Amino acid sequence: MLSLDFMALPLLAASALVFVAVLMGILSARVGFPFLLVFLLAGGLAGEYGLGIIFDDFNLSFWVGNIALAVILVDGGLRTDFATFRTGLKPSLLLATVGVIMTAGLTALAAVWLLDISWAMAVLLGAIVGSTDAAAVFSLLKSSGVRLNERVAATLEIESGMNDPMAVYLTLAFIGVVLAMESGSAQAPWLSTLGGFVTQFSLGTAFGVLAGFSIAWLMNQLRSLLEGGAGILALMLMSAGIGLFAFTTWLGGSGFLAVYIFGVIVGNRARKAVRQALSAVDGFAWLSQASMFLLLGLLVSPAEVKDTLLPALGVAFFLIVVARPLSVWLCLAPFHFTRKEIAFIAWVGLRGAVPIVLAIFPVMAGVEGGKIFFNIAFVVVITSLLLQGSTLPWLSRRLGLLLPEKDDRQQWRKVFGDFVLDARISVGQVSGFYDLPEPANPDITLGAWVAAELRRPPIVGDSVNIGRAKIVVRELKGTDISMVGLKLPEH
Amino acid sequence: MNIADLLTPDHTYCDIDGVSKKRVLENLSTFLNDAGDVSGTDADAIYQKLLERERLGSTGIGSGVAVPHCRVPGCNKITGVLLKLSDQVDFDAIDGKPVDLIFALMVPQEHSDEHLQALASIAELMQSEDVRRLLRTATSDRNLYDLATGARA
Repeated sequence: MLSLDFMALPLLAASALVFVAVLMGILSARVGFPFLLVFLLAGGLAGEYGLGIIFDDFNLSFWVGNIALAVILVDGGLRTDFATFRTGLKPSLLLATVGVIMTAGLTALAAVWLLDISWAMAVLLGAIVGSTDAAAVFSLLKSSGVRLNERVAATLEIESGMNDPMAVYLTLAFIGVVLAMESGSAQAPWLSTLGGFVTQFSLGTAFGVLAGFSIAWLMNQLRSLLEGGAGILALMLMSAGIGLFAFTTWLGGSGFLAVYIFGVIVGNRARKAVRQALSAVDGFAWLSQASMFLLLGLLVSPAEVKDTLLPALGVAFFLIVVARPLSVWLCLAPFHFTRKEIAFIAWVGLRGAVPIVLAIFPVMAGVEGGKIFFNIAFVVVITSLLLQGSTLPWLSRRLGLLLPEKDDRQQWRKVFGDFVLDARISVGQVSGFYDLPEPANPDITLGAWVAAELRRPPIVGDSVNIGRAKIVVRELKGTDISMVGLKLPEH
Repeated sequence: MNIADLLTPDHTYCDIDGVSKKRVLENLSTFLNDAGDVSGTDADAIYQKLLERERLGSTGIGSGVAVPHCRVPGCNKITGVLLKLSDQVDFDAIDGKPVDLIFALMVPQEHSDEHLQALASIAELMQSEDVRRLLRTATSDRNLYDLATGARA
């Protein structure tokens, strides 16, 4: 008789691993420990030195990693409200392009010194760890149960959705440079590198937009036929997304950028259908994250990580404490964010699966000593999740970037003050009534005055001082301020 | 800010009829004019000032409380009037709920900083759920005055 053990035993091990990891994740999330880290560690513990499962299939991990990232980016895109682009798009774009290059470059400086590797290898390492992770950012911002200032949340989320393509591009480009140098070619492939950049981004954007509009149209047509078909709709979205990812990658575009843009467009153009499918989409996203992190945890070999642990920690700390904050600070300088907002965004440069997946690229490309990237990326991600992930709720409270819950009267007062003013009255009426210093242009409306003083798209919770009192944005209608709070000076 | 410095038992009114927001503001202007140390002004001028403030946005701060206020030329001393209405009136309050507790404040034209602080303390006091519950138990003017001056936010 045919024995099915070959199927049953690995399946039993794998499902038990997922089950236990999920259980541990749920319990640890309650104490603020990042869910994803639990998966990574569970995978690690099941590996060579734990349960003794030996797994070194980089090929399979590469497959799973890419598909999972595509699914997560579609999911992230679907959940991105166009309205948040108003505050988040421009800063995110800069962070996702220039920011990634700066972070990678600065990290490379530290890596040359700490790891004693060639500059090309160092830049490659910088590129691998250069992007923030959509899965980590989305899930930590959601699961930490905090209602974050919209500007900060939008910037972090859109940045994490859009910076992976840049990191992927840089990684591929510098693998090319490293390979060229290894083969003794004097000429690094600069021209094709630059050309690749343009192709990656233009094709990625074009296909993402095209597919987004088409699928959105299709979903709107089909919706009436699929009442309650959440699972079917989700499957349709995901297969379209992964197909788009494959197609774009095949033609030399950035598949990651394409699927994120696809998600955003479908999510906003076919909102009703997508909302119906969202819970099922969520299932796909979790499945992707769980399998990816578990697999990556299994793939890592603790003995090898130990060999480069100290320099890897050095790279991680440099990235977290110097490279990320410096590039965030420079990129956000033109946008009039408050110092606290910049500090928070700089700190929440969460690294997740992307660096680990990207670290598989050099191994697959046959870069000599390529496994070192994998081991270092692993340490960087764990450090980031531990240090940044677990301090996120605390820091957002500490910096006062949280919006109060409706029923928390004390906190509500503290943020918005006691009195409500109609934003359509003139600012001169308010200053005149309360004998506050009159602004230069007293005839413009209170809302317009606040918006002008802020010099950035206003969000709920933004405030402007007028003498010793404060005007706080309380409600927006579209992009206009409709109601403000008046916060009086307290003794 | 000591509530006893703002109120007098004579100008604390328990269970008077509210009728409407306009009527409440009219009553308040009369009471403030009587209670305050004012010269060269009258109830009508005070009424206009209170109304001017309501046009900027309702002073109904939610949970059935309103804190109408104004600066008045000729007013020499910061003056408060507390009302507990026998009925609830619509005040365009922030939470849309009708109002039955009203703490009005009239302040002199000058020294506005100190007065803004007084206003903030009254708003803070009235934001306390315990204080509101306590004031709503009042049975007479004197009782309301005692509860208000003894209350802590």
